[in-house]
Amino acid sequence: MSEIVLPTDANADRHLQETIVESTHGWGLGLVQVWQYRELLRVLLWRGLAVRYRQMALGVLWMILEPLAQIGIMFVIFGLVLRLPSEGFPYPLFVFSGLVPFLLFRKALDSSADCLRENMGLISKVYFPRLLLPISAVVRDAVDVTVNLLVLILLSLTYGYIPGPAVLLLPFVMLIPILAAMGIGLWTASLLVRLRDLRHLIGIGVQILMYGSPIIYSPAQVPAALMPYYQLNPIYWSIAFFRWALLGRELIITPQFYISLALVIALSISGLFIFNRFERMSVDVQ
Amino acid sequence: MSQPSVSVTGLGKSYRLPHRGAGQFRAHLKEFFGLMVDENDVFWALREIDLELAPGDIIGILGKNGSGKSTFLKLLSGVTAPTTGRAVLRGRIGSLLEVGAGFHPDLTGRENILMNGSLLGMAQQEIRSRLDEIIDFAGIEPFIDVPVKRYSSGMYVRLAYAVASHLDTDILILDEVLAVGDAEFRMKSLDNMERIARGGRTILFVSHSPQSVTNLCSTGMVLSAGRQVFLGSAREASTHYMQLVHRIGETGSTDIAQMPALVDIREREGFDRARPEPVLTSIETLRMDGTSTRQFRTGEGMRIRIGYRTTLMPAPYFTVFFLDTNGNRVMTLYSTHSSHLASIRDRGFVECVIPELRIYGEEFSIMVECGLISRQLESVDCVPNATNVRIELDDYLGAAGLVSNQGVVAQRSAWAIV
Repeated sequence: MSEIVLPTDANADRHLQETIVESTHGWGLGLVQVWQYRELLRVLLWRGLAVRYRQMALGVLWMILEPLAQIGIMFVIFGLVLRLPSEGFPYPLFVFSGLVPFLLFRKALDSSADCLRENMGLISKVYFPRLLLPISAVVRDAVDVTVNLLVLILLSLTYGYIPGPAVLLLPFVMLIPILAAMGIGLWTASLLVRLRDLRHLIGIGVQILMYGSPIIYSPAQVPAALMPYYQLNPIYWSIAFFRWALLGRELIITPQFYISLALVIALSISGLFIFNRFERMSVDVQ
Repeated sequence: MSQPSVSVTGLGKSYRLPHRGAGQFRAHLKEFFGLMVDENDVFWALREIDLELAPGDIIGILGKNGSGKSTFLKLLSGVTAPTTGRAVLRGRIGSLLEVGAGFHPDLTGRENILMNGSLLGMAQQEIRSRLDEIIDFAGIEPFIDVPVKRYSSGMYVRLAYAVASHLDTDILILDEVLAVGDAEFRMKSLDNMERIARGGRTILFVSHSPQSVTNLCSTGMVLSAGRQVFLGSAREASTHYMQLVHRIGETGSTDIAQMPALVDIREREGFDRARPEPVLTSIETLRMDGTSTRQFRTGEGMRIRIGYRTTLMPAPYFTVFFLDTNGNRVMTLYSTHSSHLASIRDRGFVECVIPELRIYGEEFSIMVECGLISRQLESVDCVPNATNVRIELDDYLGAAGLVSNQGVVAQRSAWAIV
């Protein structure tokens, strides 16, 4: 099809892009559009961060205090009262290093699952690739959790654990919970617009996952027979990498690691498909 | 001949109604996966729209609430997908479906401009280069670094419109934007839109105001119940819309003089909303001597008797509108012009007496409204085209009278050489 050129001199040789509006929607991943709209992605991310940190001092403080309080409670109950073994590491440090990757998973899941519902006012009025919403939300969560990670590193230093160069691998390790959370979030985001009940189901699932991951206890306490299944949990691996990088705990990579990684990747790619296919309906069914 | 910038063929949008059938859950499934679709569950918000626009066209889309105007713009802007048909838009698209959509209350005016601009498809660099222009247009320089949550609603809206109207897009989609701001700002917006269109860009805009469509647009489209009932020149579209709104011409071609002058209006449809509890029950036009008729002569009197039914209306007002066949208001009679009416209850009649008719025409449509006087006039019930009357000029202006197309007002005058 020939392209037209507007006669005005300002647009002298600009080719017009063609937008086709029709009912068929493809099964694409939608990543090309995200790239085309990368500038908006940056703006959305900046908006998320600016809004959150606008009341600066307090915002950051709470973000640090909240997990610290949680760690304090866990330390008192599980470390002092129940005396759960922590493989010889100081219990607060042990819990914190498990909690950070889990926290990242929980936040990223919450915000990516809720992204369509929360931004309904926007997406029912303005068109842009909806995938920008979960991506920008999850990146914002990653920034938040990085602040926690810095606190964790400080805490390790006060206990005399000097993290080695392995710490530099942690950003990549953080991709595991991020992708796992986004995969689930993308699967559920469109449904959640209408079926808010799902929200509770997700909450329960997250709770189960928390106790199904070696955060407050040592994986050595898990029965050996269960171990092959227990290790399929991607959070297990993120925690294992965190403790290896920060505390110098031994890391044994089993085939389950690769299976769990493959699962995470499959989940996020299928999530992209599902999200792309169904997000357009969410405006109509809200 | 250049290609059209917008071409729409057979565009339609249907929604599934979730309320019918058994079970919430099944209904949800239906909506999402299109399972078990039953024709009765489908509601067509928009059906079979065809439209072609060339670069530089401005089209005004008129229609009553729920006629599918906004759905049409939503489809074109890509917010939601059509069920049938197809639209091809050539060029960059900017859309403003809601003033200030995407504004964040905690961000400052300047930040929101940058943010909103890129939401609407502008590059950051473009926005920055136009920042001063936008701020100037909105007229909010002193407040530009204040969070918009502290803005007055007028400032908010001006800022939002300023961003959208400075979009350098080939196609601009606007919903009800002219309804915002004060008169001065509206003028500025109109000028701006004209300037945009002269630059070879295509504008589609939805409006409730046939006047702005006539003033601004080259083309007009009228939607009613999701269908395209008129497409043509802006002026004709406005007339068509006015007739539609006032339900003029629905009585058909019967000679109005032959029709009974007492009309039951309990079951009539409302002007701009439904009438669950109609207050206005009947209307009757009478001569001064009490003869019930629809045929009058200029210069004689008219009594309009309105029947009501209500539990209690403490401070009521009634209004009678006379409209010509194009839907233009010719004359409006408010009960508040004379004196306040006492409270009304139960059933009864209100009578409006015109001592001497000053207008003439083959057919006038009468719209009747009633409401409450509180701080302002609060409309309670309104029936368009409740009845229609003929007012003949007869010999009011002497034997010569007037030829056709000399207005609707008959004014006597004395002439002399002085």
